[in-house]
Amino acid sequence: MKKEPFHISGKLHLTGSSRFIGDEAPLAGMLYASFLYSPVAHARIISIDSSPALQIPGVKHVITAKDIPGENMIGHVIKDEPLFPEHEIMFLGQPLVMILATDPSIAEEASSRIQLQYEELKPILEIEEADLKEEWYIPERRIVRRNPQPDSLLKLNGRTRSEAQEHFYMETQRSRAIPLEGKQIIVHTATQSTMECQEVIAHVLGIPAHNIIIEVPRLGGAFGGKERNATIWATMAALGAYVSKRPVEVLLPRDHDMKVTGKRHPFLSNWNLAYSPDGRVKSYDIELLSNGGAYADLSIAILERALFHAENIYNIPDIRIRGRACRTNLPPNTAFRGFGAPQGIFVIENIMESLAEKTGLDPFVIRLLNAYQPADKTPYGQEIRQAPMPQIFTRLRQLSSYESLKQEVQDFNASHTHRKQGLGLVPVKFGISFTTALLNQGSALVWVYIDGSVSVTTGGIEMGQELSTKVAIVVSRVLGLPLEQIHVESSNSQRIGNASPTAASTGSDINGNAARIAAEKIRRNLREAASHYFREQFGLDLPEEEFQFQSAEIGHPVTEQRVSFSELVRYAYNQRIALGAYGYYKTPDLHFDRELGQGKPFHYYVWGAALSRIELDLLSGDHHLLGTWIVHENGSSLHPEIDRGQVIGAFIQSMGWCTMEELPVDDKGRYLAVNPSTYKIPGIRDIPEVLELELLTSGSGEASVMGSKATGEPPFIYGFSVFFAIQNAIRSVNPEADLSFPATPEAALKALKL
Amino acid sequence: MDYTFTKIDFWLNGTRIQDEIPPGQSTFDYLHRKLQLHGTKCSCNEGDCGACTVAIGSAREGAIVYEAVNSCLFPAARLHRKHLITIESLGTPDALHPIQEAMLNHHATQCGYCSPGFVMSAFALLAMKPKPSRDEFLAALEGNLCRCTGYDSILKAMLELGAKGIDPVPAWARKIEPELFSIKTEPQYLQQKSDAIYPACKYLLPQSLEQLFAFWSDHPAAVPICGGTDIMVQVNISRRKFPALLDLTQIPELRSIKLQRDGLHIGATATYSDVYNSGIVKTDYPCFASLIRLIASEQIRNSGSIVGNIANASPIGDSLPLLLVLEASLVLQSTDSQRTIPLKDFFLSYRKTALQPFEIIREIIIPPLPIDAFVRISKAAKRKSVDISTIASAIRIELDSAGQITKSLLAYGGAAAVPMLSFSAPSDMTGKRPSDIDFPKLASQIAAEFTPISDVRGSADYRKQLIANQVIGYLTELSGRNK
Repeated sequence: MKKEPFHISGKLHLTGSSRFIGDEAPLAGMLYASFLYSPVAHARIISIDSSPALQIPGVKHVITAKDIPGENMIGHVIKDEPLFPEHEIMFLGQPLVMILATDPSIAEEASSRIQLQYEELKPILEIEEADLKEEWYIPERRIVRRNPQPDSLLKLNGRTRSEAQEHFYMETQRSRAIPLEGKQIIVHTATQSTMECQEVIAHVLGIPAHNIIIEVPRLGGAFGGKERNATIWATMAALGAYVSKRPVEVLLPRDHDMKVTGKRHPFLSNWNLAYSPDGRVKSYDIELLSNGGAYADLSIAILERALFHAENIYNIPDIRIRGRACRTNLPPNTAFRGFGAPQGIFVIENIMESLAEKTGLDPFVIRLLNAYQPADKTPYGQEIRQAPMPQIFTRLRQLSSYESLKQEVQDFNASHTHRKQGLGLVPVKFGISFTTALLNQGSALVWVYIDGSVSVTTGGIEMGQELSTKVAIVVSRVLGLPLEQIHVESSNSQRIGNASPTAASTGSDINGNAARIAAEKIRRNLREAASHYFREQFGLDLPEEEFQFQSAEIGHPVTEQRVSFSELVRYAYNQRIALGAYGYYKTPDLHFDRELGQGKPFHYYVWGAALSRIELDLLSGDHHLLGTWIVHENGSSLHPEIDRGQVIGAFIQSMGWCTMEELPVDDKGRYLAVNPSTYKIPGIRDIPEVLELELLTSGSGEASVMGSKATGEPPFIYGFSVFFAIQNAIRSVNPEADLSFPATPEAALKALKL
Repeated sequence: MDYTFTKIDFWLNGTRIQDEIPPGQSTFDYLHRKLQLHGTKCSCNEGDCGACTVAIGSAREGAIVYEAVNSCLFPAARLHRKHLITIESLGTPDALHPIQEAMLNHHATQCGYCSPGFVMSAFALLAMKPKPSRDEFLAALEGNLCRCTGYDSILKAMLELGAKGIDPVPAWARKIEPELFSIKTEPQYLQQKSDAIYPACKYLLPQSLEQLFAFWSDHPAAVPICGGTDIMVQVNISRRKFPALLDLTQIPELRSIKLQRDGLHIGATATYSDVYNSGIVKTDYPCFASLIRLIASEQIRNSGSIVGNIANASPIGDSLPLLLVLEASLVLQSTDSQRTIPLKDFFLSYRKTALQPFEIIREIIIPPLPIDAFVRISKAAKRKSVDISTIASAIRIELDSAGQITKSLLAYGGAAAVPMLSFSAPSDMTGKRPSDIDFPKLASQIAAEFTPISDVRGSADYRKQLIANQVIGYLTELSGRNK
């Protein structure tokens, strides 16, 4: 078996020598920021008195909205979010004042001395109330395909909720801004979006964007939580550096980070469904409402993706999908792996679980009965070109020995009274591309230096998904070089401008392709050089396009003669042939009309399915995850080990969301779990006893860079299999039980009681 | 501000160091702020994520032990006479340590932020057990969170290491071991001024009981600190400030675990790990060992003490229900006197105890336990490991030869303002055969005794149901009807 290349930063990570912002030596004269956060969710500001803070030795600046030289606005898609609110506080934890001091302990102490007077207003916290009051950022969005069905069909209706989730990136929000000459500021910041940080900071400071340099070495996890959520902290650091003319560090302690930053959107869905007695879903009418928090942030795009995934893998003739993103007084909810798709898919899949029970059909059978086939069209009009669900289900049944598994569970349940087992199945079809078409573009810069070593920069951010390793693999394949000869650089707005966020699972598709294009330009130049070289050195006249790059050598099929890559590079330089190239890529053939709700928003889909088996203790409500089997289609993988890591990591993260991660909010709009002592993400004891994953190489013609497919988000859906397995065990006792989300022991006991 | 710094003498990654530690500063802050060693990461600052894990070598009971601790909760002054090993010393990118090599091979790092902590936890485990079982790896790593990998690759790397069996301790660390036995230097105290704000004005490290009480009378407002797994959380998260902290952990006579005629004596600073690893506990009090496996994480078990759990008097302290049914008593020590009180009389009201000013819990005494006593514990929590209980309970039942219950004790944590024994359980069960008991009826009767609250961990209704269900679970097992 061919050994996959290691994580390109693996040796650095494992020895603690990789660079993270803030986990590094302080800069001379650096000031540390702390904030006065709003203690209430909704209020009118009467006054802020910062003078007591300024009396503390070591406090250098107290910064408020008055110190902003440009516009006090960090809203991006919709311009509704100030850096500091001037009149109206919109959520608990909203930063009101920034303190800069010579030591973080001083800044923190000072922030507690500031006197804030306010008039408290009634906050809106729940989706229902916000929707009733028509607190929407934009009017309702719809995707409708009418195909009237007979009244005689069987009907089902319901209300389904999914709840918030904290990203819990291990590295909290942080930023270091350093003033340079003139108005230039370099901002080292943990963001998924260099372009947005640059644009927003320039706007807030009222200076041209070329003054703001965004530098991102890597992120200690993001999962969407540093796409928009990072901008405010980068802007704070830059404003601090602008005002103080000193380096400024913003680094949120975990409890502050969890208190004040946005989460995955809670969704509430009301739905009606009609099906035929043989189990065919004929009609589906669903209304998806999301809790967007105090400002629009990315809520509209997230809602849109929920709408695009509401039907998941099913071809439903008559369908109406509507969505409204609601404004509440919580921290602005934001991007999180899956970006609305999980919230949409959860509803239909939970219905399919019920339908299987109502019709007596096996969960695999009823799903396949309704699944898309090639040439079907989605409700928004995109053609399904490849529909591998039958193959995926067949493989999954084999991988899990499904028939005997089913029997074992039945036998176990028949012979146990205090414990029951359950099985849960979930398939996924996940659309790849930013649904905002303009974001589907990216750039790369490749340099071959005189010694033959290579430097690659893309607009992509390395955050653990191993984009750098994949980009290096792409360049190494194009130039025929070992991975060690390629260095993938930090992301930097001076090297790559106008970079789209690294998000929507598109990181390797867009940046990998841009790097490929740049590397191919250099290869073209080197082929020209090679043809000169072979003529000069060996007297061979060979066609340029036939030179081959392999094992750090360049050769030609007709001759044994070779030239090493580094020698050819030096030769090319001497011949004045360009050794640097810029690559630009845009995803082809994307369009979507939001008014009509029709178009082709996705470049392709990723497909897969997961099955889980659990054992539930009926006295404690605890479950034990006995096994999970996953079949995941991913084109022709650039690196199967990386993709395995993505699939399993996403599965466990989503299992946490469905079964243990809870974010209770009190009636004042305060998150009560702001630490890992109260917010429980999965630990090493929570992984399944048996975990089998098969990556299905599909050879899909739709796939992206070098035949590979995106892997970041699609496997996030697999966690639902655990939720459904728990629900299945509960229903073996109480067939009418409705398990609430997430399936904590408390929820399980409650569902058992009904 | 005026502070007293504590000058200590210790080893850092093989090098002996004397340094002045700001009062109450954590080892993590000391590494980052003073030493500029940034390989160790901090993600939660409350001992719940393991990113900041470091290993500490020290001499104990004639042996050298290596233990993983959360550097965010480990007061730096406590490094005195110990060997602190951080990620910076275990391998370089060009010469990886075998643990790092295995993790690299298995693709067990993604964003990399948690990786140093995992390496250090594995290091401390392998240093004590060259071939750990799967479960021992899980126990050692349950205190390390990773949000990227889903742990599968990490566990695979570990199992490979476990199968191989390696000695992870480098030669330079082995060389220091004899010195860890012989080092005798005392900490020094130095006045300093600073603009920076520290958690305490003084951090005192008494070396004997006499010195402890002498320090205490000099600083009457001082707060004793044992494992620090609660006090340091108050420092880091509640931003609490202390006039002085009085560290009990360097007083040798407080750390002993010994079996005497009247039972097992566990000293004030004996950690959960000390108790778990004690041979006496394994043979004579196996229920205690199984309880400790459910408590916290390896890092916390290596710092936190059972007595600290009692003194802290949390209504949900994990060890308290079991200690109640074992009829433990406490030896309370002040400057010149000692008294013994039953544990059940120690908790007065929410977080209020019978401790008098200038008094410490010197030790716990657990009376001998009949070998065939039925003792079980339950812990309900959202997550299988490293979670605070929603309801915790313990039961002890003794049967005579005719199968009649001669003694029954049942205690709950999280069910009231203090950990409590059920008053009806003994009278309702004693004299009966388990098979004669109506489980659901008894369970709801017992649940009616308690008035749990609703909070972030669960509603009052849920807690009531757990109180009842745990009784049913115990009785079902006792009567052999378990399925």
